Amino acid sequence: MADPANTPLGQMLLDEITPVVMVLGTPLVEEACLKNGINFVQMLSPFCAFNNIDVPVRTASDQPYRLQKFKLRLFYASDIRQPNLEVARERLKQLIIQAGEKDLSELSSDPPPTNYEHNGSESENLPSWFQFFNKELVRSASFSDHEAFDHPVACLLVVSSKDEQPINQFVDLFNNNKLPSLLNDGAMDPKILKHYLLVHDNQDGSTEKSARILTEMRSTFGSDCQLLCINSSEDGLVEHHDDPWALYKSDASPGQNVGCFLNVDDLNEMKDIMQDLSTKHIIPYMEQKIRVLNQQVSATRKGFRNQIKNLWWRKGKDEVADLSNGPMYTFSSIESQIRALGDYAFMLRDYELALSNYRLISTDYKLDKAWKRYAGVQEMTGLTYFMLDQSRKEAEYCMENAFNTYLKIGPSSQQNATRCGLWWVEMLKTRDQFKEAAMVYFRVCGEETLNSAVMLEQAAYCYLLSKPPMLHKYGFHLVLSGERYKKSDQIKHAIRTYKSAISVYKETRWSHIKDHVHFNIGQWYANLGRYDLAASHILEVLACSHQSKATQDIFLRHFLQIVQKTGKTFEVPKLQLPEINISFLKVIFEDHRTYASATAASVKESIWRSLEEDLVPSLSTARTNWLELHSRVLPTKYKESNVCVAGEAVRVDIEFKNPLQIPISVSGVSLICELFGSSDETKSDGNNLAGEFQNDDGSVETTSGEMSNKSSSFSLSKVDFSLEGGETIMVQLTVTPTIEGILQIIGVRWNLSGAVVGFHNFESNPIKKRSSEGRQRANRSGDNLKFVVIKSLPKVEGFIRPLPTSAYAGDVRQLVLELRNHSECAVKNLKMKVSHPRFLNIGSRESLNVEFPACLEKKRSEHNNVRHNPSNMSQPVFLFPEDTIIKGESPLLWPLWFRAAVPGNIFLYITIYYEIEDTSSAMRYRTLCMHYNLQVLPSLDISFQVSPCPSKLQEFLVQMDIINKTSTESFQVHQLSSVGEKWAISLRQPVNTDFPSQCLMAGQSLSCFFMLKDQRRSGTSEDKTSLSQQVGSVVGLGPQGTIESLFDTSSSPLADFHSRERMLEESSHQSDSTVDFILISRPLKSDPDSVLDVDIFSLLGCSIASTSPISWHVDGPRTLYHNFSSSFCEIRLSMTIYNSSNSIASVRINTVDSSGNLSESTSPQSATSSGNQVGWHDVSLVTDIKVTSDVLGTRSIKPPSLDSVSSFVWSAASSTRVQIKPMSMAKIPLQICAFSPGTYDLSNYMLHWNLLLPDGEVNLDEGTRQSAGTCQGYPYYLTVLQST
Amino acid sequence: MASTACFIIVSRNDIPIYEAEVGSAAKREDAAQLHQFVLHAALDIVQDLAWTTSAMFLKAIDRFNDLVVSVYVTAEVCMYLIFTCRMACLNWKQLLILLNPLYLPGSRVTSSHFDTKVRALARKYL
Repeated sequence: MADPANTPLGQMLLDEITPVVMVLGTPLVEEACLKNGINFVQMLSPFCAFNNIDVPVRTASDQPYRLQKFKLRLFYASDIRQPNLEVARERLKQLIIQAGEKDLSELSSDPPPTNYEHNGSESENLPSWFQFFNKELVRSASFSDHEAFDHPVACLLVVSSKDEQPINQFVDLFNNNKLPSLLNDGAMDPKILKHYLLVHDNQDGSTEKSARILTEMRSTFGSDCQLLCINSSEDGLVEHHDDPWALYKSDASPGQNVGCFLNVDDLNEMKDIMQDLSTKHIIPYMEQKIRVLNQQVSATRKGFRNQIKNLWWRKGKDEVADLSNGPMYTFSSIESQIRALGDYAFMLRDYELALSNYRLISTDYKLDKAWKRYAGVQEMTGLTYFMLDQSRKEAEYCMENAFNTYLKIGPSSQQNATRCGLWWVEMLKTRDQFKEAAMVYFRVCGEETLNSAVMLEQAAYCYLLSKPPMLHKYGFHLVLSGERYKKSDQIKHAIRTYKSAISVYKETRWSHIKDHVHFNIGQWYANLGRYDLAASHILEVLACSHQSKATQDIFLRHFLQIVQKTGKTFEVPKLQLPEINISFLKVIFEDHRTYASATAASVKESIWRSLEEDLVPSLSTARTNWLELHSRVLPTKYKESNVCVAGEAVRVDIEFKNPLQIPISVSGVSLICELFGSSDETKSDGNNLAGEFQNDDGSVETTSGEMSNKSSSFSLSKVDFSLEGGETIMVQLTVTPTIEGILQIIGVRWNLSGAVVGFHNFESNPIKKRSSEGRQRANRSGDNLKFVVIKSLPKVEGFIRPLPTSAYAGDVRQLVLELRNHSECAVKNLKMKVSHPRFLNIGSRESLNVEFPACLEKKRSEHNNVRHNPSNMSQPVFLFPEDTIIKGESPLLWPLWFRAAVPGNIFLYITIYYEIEDTSSAMRYRTLCMHYNLQVLPSLDISFQVSPCPSKLQEFLVQMDIINKTSTESFQVHQLSSVGEKWAISLRQPVNTDFPSQCLMAGQSLSCFFMLKDQRRSGTSEDKTSLSQQVGSVVGLGPQGTIESLFDTSSSPLADFHSRERMLEESSHQSDSTVDFILISRPLKSDPDSVLDVDIFSLLGCSIASTSPISWHVDGPRTLYHNFSSSFCEIRLSMTIYNSSNSIASVRINTVDSSGNLSESTSPQSATSSGNQVGWHDVSLVTDIKVTSDVLGTRSIKPPSLDSVSSFVWSAASSTRVQIKPMSMAKIPLQICAFSPGTYDLSNYMLHWNLLLPDGEVNLDEGTRQSAGTCQGYPYYLTVLQST
Repeated sequence: MASTACFIIVSRNDIPIYEAEVGSAAKREDAAQLHQFVLHAALDIVQDLAWTTSAMFLKAIDRFNDLVVSVYVTAEVCMYLIFTCRMACLNWKQLLILLNPLYLPGSRVTSSHFDTKVRALARKYL
């Protein structure tokens, strides 16, 4: 470490702990001095500090050493007393206020960015007035009676030569009662060195009189007399280049030329006198005093004997001491002498001597419980250690001890504690222990807010200076300090500290801290009237979602008040209120693809792309030849940018969010855009780049309010809204370019509460763009919002009316597609594609004006209904007729059929492609995208059960169960149709019997039974004639009146919808084995005319779909009479077997006379053979059985498990084998013999069938079917009666 | 001492990811910001200490008037700052958050479940 004397603390100590010279002067002396604008002490003070005095000093030891630097402190006797606390405080306050005023000029500007990383020079950051402040603070504790270094060493008696009887004056000066209390109350030795000075004012005449007085003085007082001549300059125009009094003339009026009558001779004389005083009088006097005191101390206290004695004496004295502040020590007491010896030694830089004495006395004071003196000695011990540069720990310990002791004493020693603390701080700072220094600063700050504010600020700087810098602490202490400055009304200082703190908290996410700092600065600036600065600070805290509602309200209200006071609209880039969710920013524009509605624009890109696939000509096909290509494709430099069309709006969806809990109102939200006309476009690329640069600067210009001439080239939409607390709103803003060129969307601007204009630039943010993603390669973020505006093009608008938003499943409606083209330029080659053809069927132009649903009714005559053309279905794209052109005001209307096929939420996407007739335009084609969302509710739940009729071979029983699943709607079941020529359906029972109301209320269910006949198959059979009577394949179910108006299910929309459903089913089922039903019902509403409920069901024919390809039927008499008394009864039956498979079947019929075991073993098989229609047989059995003979009937109903031998036997062979060709039938005769009358169940036979596959053919398509199996016979009841 | 505590989890770069003001003492208007200031200032000490000691729980490392700061430093260079030293049991809870693969370093912890747990624990110990 450097020489302690050169450190700041060392300098301070060398300045402050120096011999004090008490000055006693007559008023005439002062008068002479005041001619120069300064008093006597001030006049002499500059000459009291000697840097190169070079005096040999010999203190207690015999070894002399030389003093280089020396300083005297001059004080008037009236000032040698403890300073008044109030006065001192006031002086400090003035000092702070002055410093604050000085800083005000810097307040408006931001503080220079502090580089925390290398803070080499500490003084750079520190405000300079801290030093003065600290000095003042230290001085406020001076002249205490417990320390000897503030006690005057000498007394300078000054008398003017004009004074009458100067000798008497000298005597009076010292003898009157004006002496300080220190001398009077015995704290110090009143016999001090006296020095007599006669001041002569040269303007008052010659020095002769003075010389005479001087000799008189010499004879009276001895050699300690000198003459000082001042004011030698006649005219008073002496200018001092380096003003020696600059540091000392605190209260001089600034206008006066200080020292104007003092010429160089005067200054030299003063210098000589002071040097003489120091070297020849004060230092020798102090040397001598040290020696004397040292001898006394050695005599009384040094040595073993003295120590013991002292200890003993102290112990004895202990009981007597009852003074609160320890015993009173007079100058003659040994304790005071030791202290004085130490202080004198300290002042003469004999630190070893000083230290030994301090140590000696400190234990005494401690034992005496003279705490203040003890603390003072500890303080000096610490400082002496420091000056000796040894034992740092000891030094710090002493300082801390002193500090704590002072604090312990109470408020009376607060000043001493502060001084001690400051010295301690300096000591720590010297040793680079800034962290500890800061803590001491923190401890120093006491009750007094202003002082503690300064202390805290200094503590903050200490944290900053520590290595590594403790920025968090720095900021915190600055804030603490600012808080106290504010409390003591030093707003400027408060702002200064807070502003420094901001640099720490700039990037912080500690929200409360940030809010506190900014809000307070804002408020204080507002107090000072700097509203612009205030607003900018409060702006920072506006988006404080974490604060309570009340706080948010306060912030916003303050802000608005301040902005109002600024008197102008405030423009803020990146205003946080309301928040803009930039990731939700959507740009919607129409180039090739146009949108019919806003919802269509928000549909996923991939959906439209898949729809457009077949419509839009791919690039290779679009290119007819390379020459044409060049004229159409846009200039290559814009390839990356988006294209929009003049006159068509570009929409930007922005999400605004209110982060606060209080409502805010936002008005005038609009986009900030720039449009370069097409004239710019012709410029070279370089110019264009420059134009882009202009953009950035220009954005400020554009935001500055008026749109100037730019307003002509595009038009903007404005939106006003207000947001409740926490609300989020999606705002749609549009810009519509009117001329060709390049359009750039720069940002968005809005007006908050009519006071602040906020704007937000998009450029820096990556923007997710809906419509262009994927379509463009390598989207650079800057280009996202750049559009090439091309010449206006025809745009087709289209909508479908009246498309319902919700419908019941199965609803069929007639809709009209309306397409309009407002421009005069025609569009042609229209094509259309629908995402859900099941739901939407494109009609033909003729059906536009037909009445629905009457058009679907069956006509008696040749119906001119549009026949269903199955080829339409396979085409995914509907081509409008070649001659279709949309132009001008005449819209194109086209019929559509809608059917709600399945319940659920349905998103309908429709894309219409059209080409523009004007080939010179930049685009050849465009597409119109339409999107509809509709909800389909479940209506009628219909299930069918089809089971083969046991008694008829080609007939099936159909059970239809309808449940009305709606909650309110009622339906009238109108008709059931089976589709196709193959099937004929007829009602088994009249509807009215089981369905009297003819209307299905909500929740109601209905079952109907139908007979289904396979017409094709029965064509081979004999009863062909009966089929012609069937009503086609439709069964009317409605009330009698409406039966006439049955709908033709083979006409256009219904058949189309049916075939759509069929296409859907086809993949999983064989068309041959299915039967399709169409159930038509009408809702019973007030306007039922427009709606038809059509349910299309595709069902498997049961018998065909079952696992067995073999079906059979037993024919024979049911009842016959026989005379059993004559013989047993032989009955002939015939079995018709049908092979429905594609291969030859070999069937073996086994008849079993004893049915017991058989039925058990085959029962599981019978279950499988009857397929999915289990149980149907049993039901019919129960209903059909007619027991004619009670006795025998009960017997026959008995389960065959009885061990009895049945009362009939199968005659003929017990096993018959036949081969049946594919899709053909064979007849086998059977015969039984009955031995007694009764009812017989002829089901005890088995059919074993086996499909004979051709060699090598792999049975692929019928993999699910078995190739062989066994079937249990059907019940066949035969009643044989005894004939009479 | 009034039973008040502030519990903050700080992630890297001094970003507070979770804050909870707990305790039964009557809330002062500026309590939240004072607590933040004190804890924020304590970060300096923590940064010094964290590298010099192997202990994870640093008790009473800093104080401001009657607010004593204790810190639990974890491996993720996350730390809690709390005014009492008995809430160390929160350690595992914080680990749970860090283990959550969806947790983005530096983002705020907004789980209400976590919040209720912390407050319940605080009630138990304060």
